[in-house]
Amino acid sequence: MSDSPAAAVRTDAVWKIFEHDGIAVEAVRGVTMSVAPGEFVVLAGPSGSGKTTLLNLFGGLTRPTRGRVWIAEQEISDISERRLAQIRLERLGFVFQAYNLLPVLTARENAEFSLLLRGTPEAERRQRVTALFERIGIAGLEDRRPGKLSGGQQQRVAVARAVVGEPALVLADEPTANLDSASSDALLEVMVQLNQELGTTFVFATHDTRLMERAKRLIHLVDGAVASDTRR
Amino acid sequence: MMWRGPLLLRLAWRNVRRQARRSALTAAAMVVGLALLVMSRSIADGAHDEWIAAGVRLGSGHLAVQAPDFRTRHAIEQHLSADDRAAVEAVLADSAVAPHLAAVAPRLEITALASAPAAAVPVAVIGVDPAREPAFSEMDQRVVEGRYLEPGDHLQAFVGVELATRLRLRLGDRLVLTASGPDGTISDQLVRVVGTFRTAIPEVDQGLIHIPLPTAQAWLGVDGVTTIAVLLDRSWDTDRWVARLRHALASRADRVVVLSWRAASPELDAAVRMDDYGDYVFHGILFVIIALAIVNTVLMSVLYRTREFGVIRALGLRRRDTAMLVMIEGLILTGISGLVGLLLGLAVTWGFFHDGLDLTALMGDQMTAAGAVIDPVFVPQFRVIQLVQSAVSVIIIGIVASLYPAWRATRIDMAEAMKFEA
Repeated sequence: MSDSPAAAVRTDAVWKIFEHDGIAVEAVRGVTMSVAPGEFVVLAGPSGSGKTTLLNLFGGLTRPTRGRVWIAEQEISDISERRLAQIRLERLGFVFQAYNLLPVLTARENAEFSLLLRGTPEAERRQRVTALFERIGIAGLEDRRPGKLSGGQQQRVAVARAVVGEPALVLADEPTANLDSASSDALLEVMVQLNQELGTTFVFATHDTRLMERAKRLIHLVDGAVASDTRR
Repeated sequence: MMWRGPLLLRLAWRNVRRQARRSALTAAAMVVGLALLVMSRSIADGAHDEWIAAGVRLGSGHLAVQAPDFRTRHAIEQHLSADDRAAVEAVLADSAVAPHLAAVAPRLEITALASAPAAAVPVAVIGVDPAREPAFSEMDQRVVEGRYLEPGDHLQAFVGVELATRLRLRLGDRLVLTASGPDGTISDQLVRVVGTFRTAIPEVDQGLIHIPLPTAQAWLGVDGVTTIAVLLDRSWDTDRWVARLRHALASRADRVVVLSWRAASPELDAAVRMDDYGDYVFHGILFVIIALAIVNTVLMSVLYRTREFGVIRALGLRRRDTAMLVMIEGLILTGISGLVGLLLGLAVTWGFFHDGLDLTALMGDQMTAAGAVIDPVFVPQFRVIQLVQSAVSVIIIGIVASLYPAWRATRIDMAEAMKFEA
């Protein structure tokens, strides 16, 4: 366990128990861990091991049954929904398996969505998105709708959306699962680059061995608990 | 707190356009519904106005100026004095008032016994000003035989055709009217039939006689009138004019009252109100159907986009803003289709019915309702207030119909939403 006050995310004996037809399912069981700023962490484990649930707990998308979670030292376990939305907006970025871009917005509008919600001036939004698209290799696609982009391009836009607000933590759930190997490699390269050059903190939930190989820290989950935590 | 209106509006507008077919189907339902609403309201308003106009012409006008107890007691002693009549007529002749009046008819209303050699029956006798009465009651257009009263007539009587038949009276025949005056003295008045009329209302045709006002006054020794009946140029202005005349006659309030047709003709008022309630029920059903169409479309749209709502909430959109997004979508849908529906309703109503909806084939040349003979051709009426009410109704429908889908959108579980497949 780490008690680093500067942790990007930290948990203390956190549990998540779901009820299914009256049967309690312990998806996460007493996990205590901490991720420091700038880390590139992979949560690995078989299906049902609790990776996605733990990621959702980190992101405030679901509330813990027991235990506590902090994002950049702000406890989020029992704060109001309104405050939690504010924390997600200001301190977190998400990359989802299915890209989850909004189909009615262009690539640029998708990427700048969190900046729009924050009220960032247009000139700054434009400058940030343009630079980011340049950096991650999708310059020139700004005005396309998601339907006109390949899977790899969509996921890059999703990564741009996650990091454009310079969050304390980016949570990525199986970001390469829907991509072919070439696109996966390219996307992985982008995220490693962002981690190394901008210091963006990434936590992944994945089965992808290539992603595990690039991880600086690999946490294995089994049956909702941490089985191993390896730093490289 | 950051104002996200423009972003939400942009998202909502694009979402409505994105589900173009579904939106268009719902919009079509609303457009047709609202066009029907406008048509039915404008025709119903036209019919009501015709109904009221017909009713008040045979009754005591949109406004009736009387002595305080006349409406309830209907006794000749409850009449306006000559002085009060002159004051009322002066107010009505004022340049700010007169242009809004279609007709003014002073009347002396008497309950009497009509006797002829064949029979004697109770009747309602009205002493009228032959020069002014035709513009009010249009009795000169209901002549069956003979003619209506004319200025200068003295002993002439204009008699309901059924009454004339019952008393076996022909043109030129004499009959005697007997009634008690204000002091209780019973007096007779001989009159001669100058014309007969038919209104198609049995109780009128069987029991009404018009005689010249001076004859009636001289007969019973009354120098005033029981009612000064006033027709307005627009029936829906009645309440405003009642208030205005009451104010103008406030110094005589103990002797002069101003009644609207609703108070003076409660049976007509009740009939119009009942018809109004029927319209409200129809409109209510129409609104519910429209609202259900909106609920269905917006709710389907929300459920179809469960994952998207999960994503935008995960990215930091607050519940309140999420609800607002759905509400705006509903309002856009209702707003656009509402506007088109209103315009279509106006255009269709005007295009097909500007000369009136002719129900003659169904109702015959004349139809009666609540003591009034109505022209079976209903000319639609378009009023700004009616359009404003319809527009406000549309907005309320949009808001109410979007409430549940909006609530559902805020209740979407973000973690579960990510697993959702549309």
